[in-house]
Amino acid sequence: MSALFALDQVSVVRGSGNAHTHALSDVRLEIESGTCTVVVGPSGAGKSTLLRLLNRLEDPTSGQLLYRDAPIASYDVLQLRRSVGLVQQRPILLAETVLADLRVAVPTLTVDDATELLRQVDLLPEFLARETGGLSGGEGQRVCLARALSLQPDVLLLDEPTSALDAFAGHAVEEVLRGLTGRGLTLVMVSHDLHQAARLADVVVVLVAGRVADAGPAARVLEQPAPEARTFLAGVS
Amino acid sequence: MTSAAVTAASVTGVSVPSWPAVAVSFVLVVACVAVVARERLGLAREVMIAAIRAAVQLVAVGALLQWLFHHAGLAGSLGWVAAMVLVAGGVSARRGRGLPLARTVSTVAIAVAVTVTLGLLVAGQVITTHPRVLVPIGGMVVSGAMQATSLTLLRVRDAVSDSRAQVEARLVLGQSGADAFAPHLRAALRTALVPTIDTTKVVGLISLPGAMTGLIIAGVAPLEAIRYQIVVMYMLLGAWAVAALVAGRLVERVLFDDAHRLRPLAPAGGRQSWMTARPLRVPARSRS
Repeated sequence: MSALFALDQVSVVRGSGNAHTHALSDVRLEIESGTCTVVVGPSGAGKSTLLRLLNRLEDPTSGQLLYRDAPIASYDVLQLRRSVGLVQQRPILLAETVLADLRVAVPTLTVDDATELLRQVDLLPEFLARETGGLSGGEGQRVCLARALSLQPDVLLLDEPTSALDAFAGHAVEEVLRGLTGRGLTLVMVSHDLHQAARLADVVVVLVAGRVADAGPAARVLEQPAPEARTFLAGVS
Repeated sequence: MTSAAVTAASVTGVSVPSWPAVAVSFVLVVACVAVVARERLGLAREVMIAAIRAAVQLVAVGALLQWLFHHAGLAGSLGWVAAMVLVAGGVSARRGRGLPLARTVSTVAIAVAVTVTLGLLVAGQVITTHPRVLVPIGGMVVSGAMQATSLTLLRVRDAVSDSRAQVEARLVLGQSGADAFAPHLRAALRTALVPTIDTTKVVGLISLPGAMTGLIIAGVAPLEAIRYQIVVMYMLLGAWAVAALVAGRLVERVLFDDAHRLRPLAPAGGRQSWMTARPLRVPARSRS
C-alpha cells in the first residue's frame, strides 16, 4: 500500500543569502493512512513547519511532497485543506457561540450534526448555546477539534494540541484523540511529551535541527532510538 | 447652486482683505509669540517660522492657481488633480507600510475614488469643468479619499500583524483568503468610514464647514451656500466609501498568494517590491 504522504528530500529554507536558515533539511518520510504519527523534537526542530507543509500553509523550497501519489501542489488547495484539517496549538474560536463556531466551516450544519460533533469530542449538547468567550482552554480546544471534524477530513494535523492546557484538560483532549484513531482517522500530531507519544502513536518521528533523526514504530523508536535521536530522547524522558 | 452662480456671487460684494490688512493680522502672530515667550515654552521661534512659512506657501499656491485658472484649462486642471492623487497615494502608503504593494494600492484607490466622484458630479452637471471649480473640489475629494485609504490600510496592517492566527484558523478550514480575511476587512472599512459618517451627521451643528463658510464670506446667501455644502458632504461621503472599498479589496488580493496563504508583512523599514509580492506559481492541474 502506498503512503498517504511521501516526502522526498524536502527542505524549507527561510531568508536568503547569508542570513538563510534551514527549517527542514532533506526530510524523507512516509505517513501511512489510518495511523497516528507523533512528531517529537526540540524547539525549533521544524515540527510545526512539517505540519504546515501537509496542508500547504507552506511549500517546500526543494524536494518532492506527494499526497495520495500526486504532488500536493497539484490539488485544489481549498479542497486539500478541507480533507487535511489542522488544529492549532492554542484554541482559536471564531464566533460568539459554540454552534456559530462549528458553522464557520460548514454554514449548513444542523443542530443534530453539531450535537453529534460535540459528542465526538466529549462535550454535552448544552455547549451549543454557550458563548465561546466563557469556555475553558480544554473546552475551547475540543470545540476547535469538533470544528475541524465538521469537514469530515481524511487527515487531522494537530500542532501540540494539549501543550497550552492543564493536565486535566490535556488528558480529556487526549482521550478524544484516542477515540479518533480508533475510528481510522489519520492523525499527524506534534508533541513535546514522550509519554503522550507512547500512549497515542503508532509511528514516532524524531526531528532534530530540521532533519529526521529517527522514524519508525513507536515502541522501537522510544526504546531503541537511532544514535542521532538518542540525545534528545534521553534529555526529555 | 451651479458653479456659474458661485462665480457670479463671488465677484459681487466680496470684501477680501488687502495686503496691508493681512499685515495687520500678523499682530495676532506677534501676540502668540509674546504669550509663548512669556510662558517660556521654547516655541516662539517655531511659531514665527510656521506663520511665515504658511504665508509663503499660500502665496506660491495662490500664484500657481491664478496661472492655472487663466492659462492651463481643463488639461492643466486634470494634471493638477493627478499630481495631488500621486502625492496623496504616497502619504497613504506610509500608513500601510509593510503591506505588499502599499503605494500602488493606495494610489489606485484614491485615483478611482476621485475619478468616480468627480466624474459623476461633472456628468450630472453638478459642477463645471472650469479650473476654478475642478481644482479646489478635486483637492477636497483627494483629501477625503486619502484619509479613508490611510485608515483602511492602517487597520488592515494591524489586522495582519495581530490576527494572523485567526486568519490562518479560517484558512485551515478551507476558506479562501478573501473569506478568511472578510471579518477583519469589514472591521477596517467600518473604522475608515466612521469619521466621515460622524462628520456628515453633525455638519452645521458643531461646525460650519469650509466651503459653506467661504461662500457666505463671499456674499452668497446662507440658504444658497448650504446647497453647495450639501453637495460637498455627499461628495466626500462617496469619495471616502469608494476609496476605502477599493483600497480594502485591492489590499485583500495582494495579501494572499495563489495558495491562499497570508503573506508576511515586510520588515520595518523594508519595502516589498513587485518581485517579492508576485504570486507563487502553482501547477494548473487541479485534483479537486
